[in-house]
Amino acid sequence: MMQLQTNRQAPRAAVNPANDAAKKAEAQHLAGLLASIAETRCRRAFSELFRHFAPKLLAYGSRQFGNEQTASDLVQETMTNVWHKAHLFNADKGAPATWIFTIARNIRFDLLRKNKHRRDEISADELWPILSEQNDSLEDDYALDHDVLMQEISAYYAQLPDAQRIVIEKIYVEGKSQQEVSDALGIPLGTVKSRTRLALLKLKELIA
Amino acid sequence: MIKAHPSDALLHSYVAGDLNSASGLVVSTHLDMCPHCKRMANVIEEELTAAMAAETENGAPTDGLGDDDMQLMLDAIFSSAAPDEGLVTTKTTNDGLIYLDGKRFQLPRSLARQQERIGPWNKMMGNMWRAPINLGTDEVANLIYMGSGTSVPEHTHKGTELQLVINGSFSDEYGHYHDGDLLFLDGTHQHTPHTSDEDCLILAVMDGPLHFTSGISRLLNPFSSLFFR
Ligand SMILES: [Zn+2]
Repeated sequence: MMQLQTNRQAPRAAVNPANDAAKKAEAQHLAGLLASIAETRCRRAFSELFRHFAPKLLAYGSRQFGNEQTASDLVQETMTNVWHKAHLFNADKGAPATWIFTIARNIRFDLLRKNKHRRDEISADELWPILSEQNDSLEDDYALDHDVLMQEISAYYAQLPDAQRIVIEKIYVEGKSQQEVSDALGIPLGTVKSRTRLALLKLKELIA
Repeated sequence: MIKAHPSDALLHSYVAGDLNSASGLVVSTHLDMCPHCKRMANVIEEELTAAMAAETENGAPTDGLGDDDMQLMLDAIFSSAAPDEGLVTTKTTNDGLIYLDGKRFQLPRSLARQQERIGPWNKMMGNMWRAPINLGTDEVANLIYMGSGTSVPEHTHKGTELQLVINGSFSDEYGHYHDGDLLFLDGTHQHTPHTSDEDCLILAVMDGPLHFTSGISRLLNPFSSLFFR
């Protein structure tokens, strides 16, 4: 099914007003700590923030990684970012806890892929930014319909040796298996395989 | 008006960081174009934050952080070097503009950030072009440009495919898609996408090749590894 959803609900509102007020007060307090860290590099404010979030981050990390060592790496890296980048927190955009969660989420994403890390690999911060040529031969402007496309394709196939083209047509148009083609044409299976492989190589060359 | 949005499950996976890079790129580009889903994503972000905050309250099994551990971590953080500020450069070269067929296209923010990862445009078939986006992973992401009056023969999908219309429109048996529409396609969708008067620029991510289904166009199947590349 196509994912068409025309009548979606608006975001839910919070339910419990008393709970809500307490949460708001806590968020304001935590935002104040972040402001002190950003403005005065206040270590006491950071220690309080750290003691508040470290156990939650560790529990989150343990569940995600199933491994306390990686989980504590996550705590360390997340909170190191918070220490150095507190000035990037914007209270208008959301609560401190949400900001810290998104940092942890990004670090988790990068940690999960670290073993197969490539130099040019896209990082989580590029995908969820929180902290932070073409050729000009496009002038042939002809509309292409199905038939023209198939003519092009046919032209590619026409360049294959007959022996290869017959094998490809049996496999891809008639839907035969390589064994069935071997039986039908009375040629060894190995020959069918090598003709298929050569034909695909040739087609690849032609279209590239 | 965007009609085709990511499912709640897809959006949730995106916010949780569970999607691979290529699919993540598609969803974040949709969010650039769709204020509705952007709001939904913020709500999910808050829900996941609340879940994280509740981890310890619900007696999660970690008691691994004693006072000594915390002090050691704090000391390490205070003595850590500030990250190289040079990394936080504002890129001025990525204006997000690409020129195709004599027209200018403005890429949404998430894609414009990846502009230098966009490779050269290669002709697929007819007036259909493709530029790979090198994410440095094994995943396959492409920008696809279909000129007006172009059609792709009927096919289904061996894996799953996400397609996001960046600009323009195209149609298939299921509907008509415009800027911002996000389609999820898999083996259950047999369709014949085509453009009419307007051209179309699409961001597409696949994890398996197309499989052409009708008559002679099955001859395209050997090429599907090329479509898929
Ligand atoms: Zn949307």
